[in-house]
Amino acid sequence: MTLLKVDRLSFSYGPGPLIKDLSFEARPGDLICVLGPNGCGKSTLLKLLTGYMKAQGGSVRLSGEDASAVAPERLAALAAYVPSEISTPYDFTVRETVLLGRIARRGFWRGYSSEDAAAADLAMAETGTAALAGRSIVTLSSGERQLVFIAQALAQEAKLLLLDEPTSHLDMKYKSDIMALLARLAGKGLAVAAVLHEPALAALGCGKALLMEKGGGYAFGPAAEMLRPARLAAVYGLPETSPLLASVPVRP
Amino acid sequence: MTRNKLLLLGAALAAAAMFSLAAGPAGLSDWGVITDLRLPRTLAALVVGAGLGLAGALFQGVLKNPLSDPYILGTSAGATAAAVGCFAAGVDRGSPLFFIAVFAGAFGATFLSYWLARLAGRLSDAALVLAGVAVSAFLSAVVMLTLSVARERSFSLFYFVLGGLYSAQPGVLAFCAALTAACAAAAMARWRALDAMAMGEEKAYHLGARPARERVIFFTLACAATSAAVALGGTIGFVGLMTPHIVRLAAGPSARVLVPASAAGGAALLAAADAAGRSVFSPAEVPAGVIMAIAGAPFFMWLLWRRSGGDR
Repeated sequence: MTLLKVDRLSFSYGPGPLIKDLSFEARPGDLICVLGPNGCGKSTLLKLLTGYMKAQGGSVRLSGEDASAVAPERLAALAAYVPSEISTPYDFTVRETVLLGRIARRGFWRGYSSEDAAAADLAMAETGTAALAGRSIVTLSSGERQLVFIAQALAQEAKLLLLDEPTSHLDMKYKSDIMALLARLAGKGLAVAAVLHEPALAALGCGKALLMEKGGGYAFGPAAEMLRPARLAAVYGLPETSPLLASVPVRP
Repeated sequence: MTRNKLLLLGAALAAAAMFSLAAGPAGLSDWGVITDLRLPRTLAALVVGAGLGLAGALFQGVLKNPLSDPYILGTSAGATAAAVGCFAAGVDRGSPLFFIAVFAGAFGATFLSYWLARLAGRLSDAALVLAGVAVSAFLSAVVMLTLSVARERSFSLFYFVLGGLYSAQPGVLAFCAALTAACAAAAMARWRALDAMAMGEEKAYHLGARPARERVIFFTLACAATSAAVALGGTIGFVGLMTPHIVRLAAGPSARVLVPASAAGGAALLAAADAAGRSVFSPAEVPAGVIMAIAGAPFFMWLLWRRSGGDR
């Protein structure tokens, strides 16, 4: 079963293409990192995948359904998306926040069911946020908040999880914890795609990588091949001898 | 929300209503004054306050902007301008045309503010407040122009614009109460969509909501409640801004409780403000809108200060 199938996707903001004829797919168990320099369209790509932004060409299929034609209520059950920065001025509790992942399940007119409560509890247990359930989200650290919004996405029970820079602004411990969590989720049969800023993080469990270049070029394949220093140097515009690239461990 | 907090809210509402019925020079023994003069006025204060509190909670949620309320977004100014236009044109306050015009004014002004704020690209809290100020300023100028031209009726118009609760006709009062209750019921039924919007449009979409549709729904409900409030009480600011903030402190931000509690809290707040306006400066009578502005403007300043990080 292909959970995500992207076929010749194209998008541009101005005259030059941002994303051009991009094709890749994600299956259960895949943990895919999306890498590339700033402004190459990584975040835009995620929003195109969920239909939040409209592509100018090509198609996206979520579990076989055309993403541009599914209703938002259905979309929430097919793909869950965690934005890079989410802020709300209101101090919802962690539990209320996670439960919002369930709103599309039974129509907006009805209350939460015991099934919804169970899904929220499971998602909080999975992300290690159960102990925070009664806390206000505005009092959490950025790492804790990130985990809570991952829990909210998991409560949607979608098979495809998309994350935009889930580890930015976080310390090394949280970076490592979140990558381990994503790998564990992929191990349970989800397909996970995460935009990452640091190629070094991709070594923490990513089996495949989508490497995007400015101007619409891209490469998709096994992480070990995509993360080779020569390849990264070319995409990011760094000398091949840069010490930053040496820190990217390539698994055989 | 715990039962205790609900009881507290009910007690505040009852106390404000009692205060409103008791306030004034006539003693409690003068039953005729209370039933004939004060009761309609108390009811009007409760309905207007409920409508404004409700509208504030809906705007703050659907726009994810704690600085918004019908006064700041220009909704009240739009409704007032339409109402004053109707008075100048001789349209009766009880006629359907009056309500349609007031609602159209409220809705038009709100969407104009929203559209102006959106022109800058990403919707920011500050842009929305600025756009609301610009729209309100223009509409207030239109109202002042109408007042200056319509000399013979300008005294009653002036008191309408100031925001007072003097002469509620029973029919208008009943209609406005029913409209406000219907808006509250519809908003309560969609509380989860409102909570999703409070996370921002992008997140709301990915949780399964349709942001553009929810915006129209909640703007419509908030504008209808504001129209009812303006038709009864003229321009009264800050009830919609303050009430949801006070309610959130006690009951949390979830719309499930926030929506009904803001309606009840707004009713209590305005009934108390109106009663204070009648009693504190007695024998002079201060319009409820002036009392609310005196209490509400510093509250708005405090909100701005807090959002700028002043309490950190």
